Amino acid sequence: MHSSANALCKLYLSVIDDVIENVRETFLDEGVEEGVLNELRQLWVSKVMQSKAVEGFRKDTINPSNFVLQLPANYTQTLQKQSASIILPPGQNVQNYTAKAGGAGAVATFSLPPGVTYPVHIPAGVTLQTASGHFYKVNVPVVVTQAPRSNRVFTQPAAQRAPPRPPPPQPAPSQARPTIQQAPAQTSNSEPTPAASSSTASGPQPDGSVAQADQPPPKEPPAPVDETPQAPVPQSVPPPPPVTPQPVPESPGDFTLEGIDFSPHPEGTLKQEQGQLPACEVGEGASNSNSLDTPEKEVKEEAPDGLPVSDGTAFFSLGSQLDEAIKMELLRDFNYSGLEDIVQLDGAGDGSSEEEEVDIGGPVGENDFLGMISAEALHVLEEAGGSDDSSSTSSSDMEKEEVIEELDPLNSGDDVSEQDIPDLFDTENVIVCQYEKIHRSKNRWKFNLRDGVMCYGGKDYVFSRAIGEAEW
Amino acid sequence: MDPGNDVALDIIITNVVATFRTRCHLNLRTIALEGLNVIYKPEVGKVLMKLRKPKITASIWSSGKIICTGATSEEDAKAGARRLARVLQKLGFKVRFSAFKVVNVLAVCSLPFQIHLIQFTKNNRPIASYEPELHPAASYRIKQLRATIQIFSTGSITLTGPDVQTVATAVEQIYPLLFECRKIKH
Repeated sequence: MHSSANALCKLYLSVIDDVIENVRETFLDEGVEEGVLNELRQLWVSKVMQSKAVEGFRKDTINPSNFVLQLPANYTQTLQKQSASIILPPGQNVQNYTAKAGGAGAVATFSLPPGVTYPVHIPAGVTLQTASGHFYKVNVPVVVTQAPRSNRVFTQPAAQRAPPRPPPPQPAPSQARPTIQQAPAQTSNSEPTPAASSSTASGPQPDGSVAQADQPPPKEPPAPVDETPQAPVPQSVPPPPPVTPQPVPESPGDFTLEGIDFSPHPEGTLKQEQGQLPACEVGEGASNSNSLDTPEKEVKEEAPDGLPVSDGTAFFSLGSQLDEAIKMELLRDFNYSGLEDIVQLDGAGDGSSEEEEVDIGGPVGENDFLGMISAEALHVLEEAGGSDDSSSTSSSDMEKEEVIEELDPLNSGDDVSEQDIPDLFDTENVIVCQYEKIHRSKNRWKFNLRDGVMCYGGKDYVFSRAIGEAEW
Repeated sequence: MDPGNDVALDIIITNVVATFRTRCHLNLRTIALEGLNVIYKPEVGKVLMKLRKPKITASIWSSGKIICTGATSEEDAKAGARRLARVLQKLGFKVRFSAFKVVNVLAVCSLPFQIHLIQFTKNNRPIASYEPELHPAASYRIKQLRATIQIFSTGSITLTGPDVQTVATAVEQIYPLLFECRKIKH
């Protein structure tokens, strides 16, 4: 169930991404700016989440600290936006993500590499899970932006590392920020220090060192850097496997998240960080977490700066010193469900489910049998359409009728109808699919369906084959 | 007929087929999409709509002609037909219930005796026909009533006629003929 929910949410997101991508050109041709497109995507994603039709978007109840955060990438979105959400499918490789994200500025979901090209906002209280499976809780809303290659800010994320180290819930991000600030100071990195993305700890940490990523972040963080963040929390949390560095294709100055080594380019920073964090795991899975962290760190950095990094500038600032402090601040009680907050996107919250999927009026061929398959849906349609219920109104497709004396005007038959219980179901359960074989014997039906989406009980299920039996 | 032939025979009507017209063109696609419990058969050009109460299946054509099958009595057929027309009306069509006519009634009857089909056929040569290789029942047509009776050797007979009354009459007509040819078990 869990896996299917994840698969479903991946599917939906990929659909969303595909559509957005295909539409991007048209938008641009029309002279509409990208911000609108991003907003559209954001709204779409929020609606999907709001509809709760997809499980994966929500936090896992099992592991409160584990959730897939969906992030609508939005250039215009800047820090502090609660709407940001990052999707980190557990176990998914960064590579996958980048592939997905490639070219899509609006890609919100990314399995991990946080820094992917765009300011990514991580709202406070969100728990991020890296591909490696490590969880990081963001206590401070952070904005992860992409910095040019040269510049990587490496803020020591050690603190974030992990749920295992539950820090006392820290209230305001603002608090975090100041602490973060200190950290950068230590790192003496006014410039965006290369984000040691690799360090897992970096995750939710606010970037102490705000680094304006003017310089392309050097990606290869020395291993130690990456590891250091991990160090503090090695025991509690097995360092997440380094996020396989996938160079983020999108941005020009993208930090290559190779091996998640966002190597802080200034050695100085590195050293500092190293000092703090024993270089241990870096190699291991730090990368994953790092990538995760980096964006967050960046975000944090942004926060203090108060301005989103312009596109192309990604910076991860990891303040090693900050680790602990940040961690504390970042990690709140795991019960905090950041997702609920995240879902609050601006815009009409009509909570409609994905409309593009519930399409009964699809191609004719399907409709013929959709009529049978989703009797409930039809019923709903009928209710909606025939509610007017006026005997005199005629549909437009009526042809002229001759006036011929008729026996018993049907109006008297009004009593006749009003019949059987509008068929029990007033449900919204719908299946939209293709059929292989539909068979009926008297009142026994057998269905052989394929490639469909089923909305049952408000939840969406996707299937490639479905067999059903029913009695009418 | 033997005057003493007052057997209470149970004639069970199994099917009543009726047609009526809506006097207006019907958009089958609309019906298929918005109607409840419908089966669209575009290859044939009709829509089947099933009603639960009374248990009726209606074939709807775009011309507005509707054939109603599955009813168990004439009244049921008419009520079902009207209900169906009402459903169509609700869907938005300007339906007028007209030309309702029961066209066929199917009934079965179980006679208390078995029948010697060959003898029966011999007695009623041109009217009755029996081809055991084709069909195990002897077929008897009553031209005036426009009724057909199928007689099985077990004593069950099925009757079809234009209306229920005809069917009843047909049973009465055929009973004595069958009575003569009954098999007598010792």
